[in-house]
Amino acid sequence: MEESHSETQKKSWHDKYYKVLLIIPFSLVVFSFIYLGLFYSQHNDIMLKDISLTGGTSVTLNDNLIDATDLEDFLQNRLEEMTFKEISDLTTGEKVAIIIETKTDAETTKKILEEYLNYELTDENSSMEFTGSSLSTSFYKQLLIALLISFVFMSIVVFLLFKNAVPSGAVIFSAFADILMTLATVNILGIKMSSAGIISLLMLIGYSVDTDILLTNRLLRRHEGTVNEKISGAFKTGITMTLTSLIAVLVSFFVVNSFSSVLSQIFTILIIGLIFDMFNTWITNVSILKWYVERKK
Amino acid sequence: MKKLGFKIWLAIIVLIASILSIFLSSNGLTVFQKGVLVTSVEQNSTAYEQGFRQGDIITSIDGNLITNVSDFAKYTQEKYPSESEVKTTFKTKYSEIIFFSDSAPDITISKIPKTSLKTGLDLAGGSRAMVKAQDKELSAEEINDLVSITTNRLNVYGLSDIKVTPITDLSGNRFMLIEIAGATPKDLRNTIESQGKFEAKIGNETVFIGGDKDIASVCRNDATCARIESCQQASSGEFYCTFIFSVYLSEGAAEKHASITEKIDLNVSNPEYLSEPLDLYLDDVLVDSLLINKNLKGQVTTQIAISGSGTGETQDDAIKNAQEQMHKLQTILITGSLPYKLEIVKLDTISPLLGENFTKYILFAGIAALLSAAVIVVIRYKKVKQSLVMILTSFSEIVIVLGVASLIKWNLDLASIAGILATIGTGFDDQIVILDESINKKTTSNLKERIKKAFAIIMGAYATVAVSLLPLMWAGAGLLKGFAITTIIGISVGVFITRPAFGELVRRIEE
Repeated sequence: MEESHSETQKKSWHDKYYKVLLIIPFSLVVFSFIYLGLFYSQHNDIMLKDISLTGGTSVTLNDNLIDATDLEDFLQNRLEEMTFKEISDLTTGEKVAIIIETKTDAETTKKILEEYLNYELTDENSSMEFTGSSLSTSFYKQLLIALLISFVFMSIVVFLLFKNAVPSGAVIFSAFADILMTLATVNILGIKMSSAGIISLLMLIGYSVDTDILLTNRLLRRHEGTVNEKISGAFKTGITMTLTSLIAVLVSFFVVNSFSSVLSQIFTILIIGLIFDMFNTWITNVSILKWYVERKK
Repeated sequence: MKKLGFKIWLAIIVLIASILSIFLSSNGLTVFQKGVLVTSVEQNSTAYEQGFRQGDIITSIDGNLITNVSDFAKYTQEKYPSESEVKTTFKTKYSEIIFFSDSAPDITISKIPKTSLKTGLDLAGGSRAMVKAQDKELSAEEINDLVSITTNRLNVYGLSDIKVTPITDLSGNRFMLIEIAGATPKDLRNTIESQGKFEAKIGNETVFIGGDKDIASVCRNDATCARIESCQQASSGEFYCTFIFSVYLSEGAAEKHASITEKIDLNVSNPEYLSEPLDLYLDDVLVDSLLINKNLKGQVTTQIAISGSGTGETQDDAIKNAQEQMHKLQTILITGSLPYKLEIVKLDTISPLLGENFTKYILFAGIAALLSAAVIVVIRYKKVKQSLVMILTSFSEIVIVLGVASLIKWNLDLASIAGILATIGTGFDDQIVILDESINKKTTSNLKERIKKAFAIIMGAYATVAVSLLPLMWAGAGLLKGFAITTIIGISVGVFITRPAFGELVRRIEE
């Protein structure tokens, strides 16, 4: 009973202020734009990129006897823009491998490492991934184009679903705000994006849109109940959906974090995105839709 | 018991078919197989001639049961290498191979995989190279030629389990993608990158070049016309071994040889030979100079012996090196050269070691994610039965995606795994919509209508996700295709097969 009591309290409050609430998402969008603009002027790009998008070499050494700090010191001045990461077994905590990423090409990196290790790197004791800079530059460009096309495709389908500018516009705007805010946060955190990172932005489109579709569908296509009842019904369903996704992603993140930087980046971005999605669906999209429905009355 | 209904039957049938597709291989059910699997057989080797084929399952050697790779190693190392040819009986699943040789068969083996699922390079290990022409845009035809020449070369080098394919990316750039499963061949970079321009010159005149225009055939794997001739130790302690093999020239090349040698005088100090040698160049580097016998002067000869040498610190090394050199020359003479230089734009060699651990973690992550999401559902709806059905549905979605992947022989890589995770995510979301709608007691519409309403939402979300994935089929030269494919399979299976069945089950539980 307590729940329904607070619901009525919230409803009246919401009725009064839902338009004002829209200021928050709009100012966040404006802030993100300004931030990304500043970021662009500083870095000449809208995100920091790792070697999968700039070109370079990634070496995984399957050797648990290496003195990591010593090796790191040794490589620091010899490899260009190096990052150094140790990965360990989840269950035993034992060190299993070292991952070195650098902009230096594969042949040179291999030579330098062999000089330190005093043994030959083969496919039995190591993995090597090299991407040329021309390829990764075109990779990056194409992934951004893919993201854009995906977004356009999604917008078309959303518009076909609702055949009405305001509700479809609200869904599309929420999805856009999700991606924009996530990207700004990723930059603030200083995360270097990989190709997988850009894919997870694309995954966000899917995750973001389904709660918005649920909301719009319940609000515009159902005839039973008041607007607020419909919103709160959709909210209960939608928030359960997002929470289960969020929990699933969080758990996956903790499992793979020590092991795969590719997957852990995907999960990090999804976590950030899903949090913004809750915000954008239940504040941005709800307010726009409520406004639209109230005006139509 | 009530009748199950079409939707549930369909889901059950597809699920069973998927399980079969995962565990059935050409040799029967994978879980019941014993022995070791032959993953590759060196072409034209003794092993090949005596009947070994890729895909054979060896179950015993000389009557000793073989259950794993170390058994195989143990019994073959006991007998080979030997002084003289010895007989070994290999029993495979369907036949018996009587093997006669002084060295172990040239085959690679592995344990029998537990499923017929194929994992991608980033999980199973292997190497991948993406190649493009230097400073040149290749046409579709040129890239196909490049693919066939490269395939030939890699085959001649004795690499098996290779896949060479032309790919085009979103902006129309063409690449050649080479994927080699398992161990990475040494010197892969050179093998791929070498343009392989072979020229045989006398003075400044080219007599013949590699490729089928000038070369009718090349003798290989036949000791009467292609062999290691002799080995010597130099004063430096290094060993030198020379090889020789025959090449049969085309009419045109043979006539050219005749007209050029016609004009050349005999060597003054060594009158058995002509004064100018036949110089062999590989990628513009002189590899050998052959003296031309005086009897060949002005003669139209189609058979020419090509020789060269290999070096090494021990005699064995030198023999091996000479064999490699011979192989390389033979390959280039057969396949001809590429009319442009190649550039490797991506080269990955991935150790198979980490992969196994990786698969374990991903499985663990998947199960943990599924269970924790289910806990949220139980807390929210306080319905244990429905939540269990939910896990079951998500689980069968994963099984069906894997079944389809195994059916279309899709290599599951990291991107595909991310796609499967995305499927679980949207699957859970959809099921929550169905569950929520079905227990919604406030409306006047009946249960069937409410589930129908749920599907209106689900289909809308499905359409948006499906179209948003399409660009990934081509972006990034298709290396991320796995994500798009598994996700599209997953969500399609979900909305058309498993989630309707879930809706039906929930309806029955509610009624």
